[in-house]
Amino acid sequence: MQKTIINIEDLSFVFDDGYTGLDHVSLSIDKGEFIILAGKNGSGKTTFLKHLNGLLIPTSGMIRVNGKQVSKHLIETRKTVGMVFQDPDTQMVGDTVFDEVAFGPENLKLHRALINETVTRILKTLNLFHLRDRNPSTLSGGEKRKVAIAGILAMDPEVIVFDEPFSNLDYPGILQVLSTIMDLHRSGQTVIIATHDIEPVIFEATRMIIMKKGSIMEDGNPMALVGRLEPCGVREPCFSKFNMKPESWQK
Amino acid sequence: MAEITPFAYRPGDSVLHFLDTRLKFFITCLLCLSLLPAGFISCWLYCLILIFFFKKSKLPLFSMLGQIKSFLILLFFVFLSRALTTKGDLIFSAYGLEATEQGLTEGALVALKFFLVMLTGLIFSSTTRPSSVKTAVQWFLKPVPFVPENRVAVMISLALCFIPVILRQAKEVSDAQKARCANLRKNPVRKTMGLVLPLLKKTFLSADHLILAMESRCYSNDRTDSEFKPSGKEKFFLLGSIMVSLCFFIFS
Amino acid sequence: MNSSYQLKMTVYSSLLVAFIAIGAFISIPIGPVPIVLQNMFVLLAALILGPVWGLGCVAVYLLIGLAGLPVFAGGTSGIGKLFGPTGGYLLGYLPCVFVTASISKGLGRKMPSDIIAMVIGSLIVYAAGVPWLMAVTSMPLKKALAVGMYPFLIGDALKIVAAAIIAKTLRPVIKL
Ligand SMILES: Nc1ncnc2c1ncn2[C@@H]1O[C@H](COP(=O)(O)OP(=O)(O)OP(=O)(O)O)[C@@H](O)[C@H]1O
Ligand SMILES: [Mg+2]
Repeated sequence: MQKTIINIEDLSFVFDDGYTGLDHVSLSIDKGEFIILAGKNGSGKTTFLKHLNGLLIPTSGMIRVNGKQVSKHLIETRKTVGMVFQDPDTQMVGDTVFDEVAFGPENLKLHRALINETVTRILKTLNLFHLRDRNPSTLSGGEKRKVAIAGILAMDPEVIVFDEPFSNLDYPGILQVLSTIMDLHRSGQTVIIATHDIEPVIFEATRMIIMKKGSIMEDGNPMALVGRLEPCGVREPCFSKFNMKPESWQK
Repeated sequence: MAEITPFAYRPGDSVLHFLDTRLKFFITCLLCLSLLPAGFISCWLYCLILIFFFKKSKLPLFSMLGQIKSFLILLFFVFLSRALTTKGDLIFSAYGLEATEQGLTEGALVALKFFLVMLTGLIFSSTTRPSSVKTAVQWFLKPVPFVPENRVAVMISLALCFIPVILRQAKEVSDAQKARCANLRKNPVRKTMGLVLPLLKKTFLSADHLILAMESRCYSNDRTDSEFKPSGKEKFFLLGSIMVSLCFFIFS
Repeated sequence: MNSSYQLKMTVYSSLLVAFIAIGAFISIPIGPVPIVLQNMFVLLAALILGPVWGLGCVAVYLLIGLAGLPVFAGGTSGIGKLFGPTGGYLLGYLPCVFVTASISKGLGRKMPSDIIAMVIGSLIVYAAGVPWLMAVTSMPLKKALAVGMYPFLIGDALKIVAAAIIAKTLRPVIKL
């Protein structure tokens, strides 16, 4: 029995300047899903994700997380849904990796001993513990992205949302982040990834949503939808173009 | 940052590196203030103590002094102007300038004291991690009324995050300007603006992203307090520094 | 809304603390008072943040310098610097930012009034810095003015003009 964790009904969002960012979006997300949100630049992916976290409030329509309306339960929503932003440089607030990861739990006013224990555990599982005293701005791109993920994990969310987690990363960096995301999914987390390069994740995902101009064009099994990507401005993965067997990026 | 500033933190494992930052800060202030009445003998003794701790913390004293050249030149100015303006027994005079014995000794003493205060600060800064400076400041501000110490602490760590980011972006902007030959511009106002304006726009934009990221991580001013890890040697250092500052008073 | 406004101002103030600190790194040591872009960022903090947050911004800057982080001119720090020969200029930033911001706010944030506000603010810095320099080094007034004020006036005028234009273009971008 799958449990619905996010429920969106007829969500629309209009920016201050009158531009329609989201146009009548409805969907529901179950616990444990691994969703790819695909779409070209400007298709409204980031705008959509910000609603899941209560950073934007719908102009019309309703969004519920765990049955609770987001706009009325901001703190609870943000504890349930963690968001990893596109640019890791602009989301670092701590001057050491340890402080950076501890920032979220400190905001929740958790007990110091508990924070130390959680942060240490998360840094160890993500293989970041040896970097704990480094300044985040001196890390490599992949390490930064992992620190950003650790900062979200420290708040123990049920859903983790990634906005373009692979942008600006080289191949080893992508693998590093990918395996972190896969481990999260295996441990039962609900994962949502917004990206316009679906190659690395398509094999692992359980569902794909394709957006265009602020509305949902397709929603279904990723493998079944690969042929529908290019009309929406997303590059089709190589394997399906060349009629090869899909192969996981994970080693 | 260590290339551009002598006062940057230098990682290490000496006693001073592990001393509780609050106490280290208190000692630094105590010593600097009690230097005021000190005389020559105690100043030189104190100088020896400082050199001992420089060696013990493996700090490169001479290369650090090289980096504060401009400060040393300034001290020389201080010495000169004291020496030439204080009234007393004339030692020599030339070109209408008169150096007196009192002036020379007093100028030397004042310059020496400034130098020692600078060295003390140098030891503190280079053995203390910026993040523990932040937590110590937060702790000291706690009893001060009307000062939101948690927000100050957040501001300090944000500023510490911004500095390397801005420096990196400044380099990008100035390279982009050079690529378009902006360095040939003569007008200094336009030159400054050409560098500063894009930089400010860029950083304010990334500040907007940061605000969102902080909001999504439930930012609040009512936060868990930071913790301190005393090394156990605090007592000795406290005692020692009180004795030194007493000496300053006695041998003034 | 109120708390998100506070968060915004906190982040913007920290950003200007960082800029004021960086303005001090890039300094040209001439005479006892190094020429820096720093005072321009202090004036910008006044114009952009307003009196209260501007004051907070400068206070935090002085505080971290006092507490030993290398944010003063030439990458120095500590009480030695704050109460040393050039300390008056640093402490003068406090009244400077407050007065500049209040005047600019009171006169409606127009370019000419901004310039007047910044001129007054810069004079306040000298009013604090020059007597301090005299007291510490026991220089006579004439000499203190000659080394601690006159050489910087042209640079200051240029910086004020630049700051006025920067503030004008920046304010709509950051929508305060
Ligand atoms: N603050 C804003 N005001 C007005 N329009 C905006 C604003 N922010 C975004 N938009 C517009 O909304 C549309 C969707 O933007 P969004 O950032 O959600 O796209 P995206 O799918 O995340 O794109 P990318 O792949 O580039 O990240 C874009 O056309 C953009 O121009
Ligand atoms: Mg986006």
